Amino acid sequence: MLEIKNLHAGVKGKAILNGLNLKVNPGELHAIMGRNGSGKSTLANIITGRDDYDIISGKIEFNGIDLNEMAPEDRALEGIFMSFQYPVVIPGVNNTYFLRAALNAQLKHFGKKEINAADFMRLIREKLKLVNMDEKYLSRAVNDGFSGGEKKRNEILQMLTLEPKLSILDETDSGLDIDALKIVAKGVNDFRDSTRSFIAITHYQRLLEYMEPDFIHILIDGKIVKSGDISLAQEVEKKGYSWLES
Amino acid sequence: MKYFRDEFDSFLDLNKDENDTLIKLRKKSFENFMETGLPTSKWEDWQFTNFSSLNAGDFRLSSANDVIKPPGIVPGQIPHSHLLLIINGHYQPGLSKLPKNVTISSGADHYFSHPEFYSHKNMESKWSKGLNPFYSLNTSMMNSGICVQVEENTVLSNPIQIIYLTTAIQNEIMNHPRFVFELGNNSKATFVEHYIGSTSIGYFNNCVTLVELGQNSFMDHIRIQEETSGSHHVANSFYGLSQGSTLNVNNTSIGSSLYRHNINLKFCDANSSANYNALSLVDNEQHHDQRIIVEHSSDSCQSNQLFKYILSDESSGVFNGKVIVEEHTRQTDANQSNKNLVLSPSALMNANPQLEIYAEDVKCSHGSTTGQIDPEALFYLKSRGLSHKKSMELIMNGFISDISELVNDKHISEYLNKIASQQLQKIMK
Repeated sequence: MLEIKNLHAGVKGKAILNGLNLKVNPGELHAIMGRNGSGKSTLANIITGRDDYDIISGKIEFNGIDLNEMAPEDRALEGIFMSFQYPVVIPGVNNTYFLRAALNAQLKHFGKKEINAADFMRLIREKLKLVNMDEKYLSRAVNDGFSGGEKKRNEILQMLTLEPKLSILDETDSGLDIDALKIVAKGVNDFRDSTRSFIAITHYQRLLEYMEPDFIHILIDGKIVKSGDISLAQEVEKKGYSWLES
Repeated sequence: MKYFRDEFDSFLDLNKDENDTLIKLRKKSFENFMETGLPTSKWEDWQFTNFSSLNAGDFRLSSANDVIKPPGIVPGQIPHSHLLLIINGHYQPGLSKLPKNVTISSGADHYFSHPEFYSHKNMESKWSKGLNPFYSLNTSMMNSGICVQVEENTVLSNPIQIIYLTTAIQNEIMNHPRFVFELGNNSKATFVEHYIGSTSIGYFNNCVTLVELGQNSFMDHIRIQEETSGSHHVANSFYGLSQGSTLNVNNTSIGSSLYRHNINLKFCDANSSANYNALSLVDNEQHHDQRIIVEHSSDSCQSNQLFKYILSDESSGVFNGKVIVEEHTRQTDANQSNKNLVLSPSALMNANPQLEIYAEDVKCSHGSTTGQIDPEALFYLKSRGLSHKKSMELIMNGFISDISELVNDKHISEYLNKIASQQLQKIMK
């Protein structure tokens, strides 16, 4: 699904990722852990194609397609999704309208018939239930006046609606209380199947307790220094990161 | 400037049968205008707007030669509205079907029957802060416009729409329309004052609109400025609110290379409220300059202003807003907000929000922000698969969405949304 080979990348000319390798197969959930500044969010931004983030050398392929030079909207249409660490407030843009436009952009991209307003409402009502969100959020502007937890649930709602192949969860657990965390984790778990892949970026092991990752990777100074199973996350939780530094 | 004198002289010649009071008023107004000339950059309240193109121009006052047959489909007509059509400054009475309890008189008839209403003394006593050379110029040659009076205790379910269309002209013309909208006590009505141009030849509209709200009356006033890109549009609007009245204004402006609008709003009596929303969407070298003065002269009145601009290319905008809370007034609640979105490095916005408070029992807020499209918002939308164009469109439509909240009529809302999104498409290019 996703293959990153010897990736050197950074923001505005400053190198942050220094030779990163990662392979994510269909159905897998990879967790990336690391301190602040280790390059976790840079990795998410590089995969999704945010402006100012550039590949210096190395390669990212998504289902065989080279992602370098590909616009963020085209990556999204190919099936890459990011749940934002800080979801953006977009004043005056109706949540339902936005989400239907996004879904229709995707349907159109695959040459399918666009979904009409009534069918979309039926679909979105089902998805709302999965993340325990009230229908009133649909009539609000995107993330406007949402609490931290509501914003994160709104991200998962978008994921469930757009059904991406690869979902990057950028610190989706931060700012969530335990109940909201469980709802979000359940949303992700129910969505998992043998064709979909996930990269969960997190500081803490907390989220992983609810999500059952297949692999844990530790990122230090822009490189994966150690990979393992869930026991690695537990070890990091106990001992911190310093023992992994060379 | 010379053409103003020539046009004024021939206008007086043609209108010899007007009554003496009116002729005197015209002459006095013209003298006032000639004395000051057009505003220059040295005038504080006009410093960002250059009127040299009006000085250098040669606009002839619209004449009988400019009377044309109304088009089969009137552009801009809003479904279910009572249409009053003026083409090139000439009223087309045949088209108008007005409801009961509404009387209209052509501008001229109203000047004849109410000369005192137009007198300088009357205007100066009430609007000392709002008079200016363009007002004087309009009074000297007011040649078109309509007075619409809604009787007391009348509720109109459909809007009255005045379309002021400039089309199929042979050479550069000017008009000085004068509108009077009077809403009787306890009445409710929606007025649409709509300027449309459809011609490649330049023209100059210098408009004055006087709006009077009776006690406990309720008015929605929608002002739409869709002049051509080669036109000049200057306007003075005056709103007087009596006790317990409510005014909602939506002012949408997309046309004209040079647009200057002076808005004067006065609470003449207690317990009234006014909401004024304005939107300017401009590109190329358009210049939109709006100045509003809200005078809180009475107790317990509430005003809200929201002015938004989106500027592209080399366009420029000016917002000059002032709220004056007069001494001895109590319980004033006044809010003023100006937000601008600048799409191009060459576009320019000048904003100057001001408060003058001479009373103590007040609640006031004001603020102005100018910025570009938020790159975070843009990336967020794109990351969901929306194209750059669609994402920009969503952000801009979101930015302007609260402007139309004051419009209660569905058909008008639809029309405003339509022209705003067309204009956004154009300025995004």
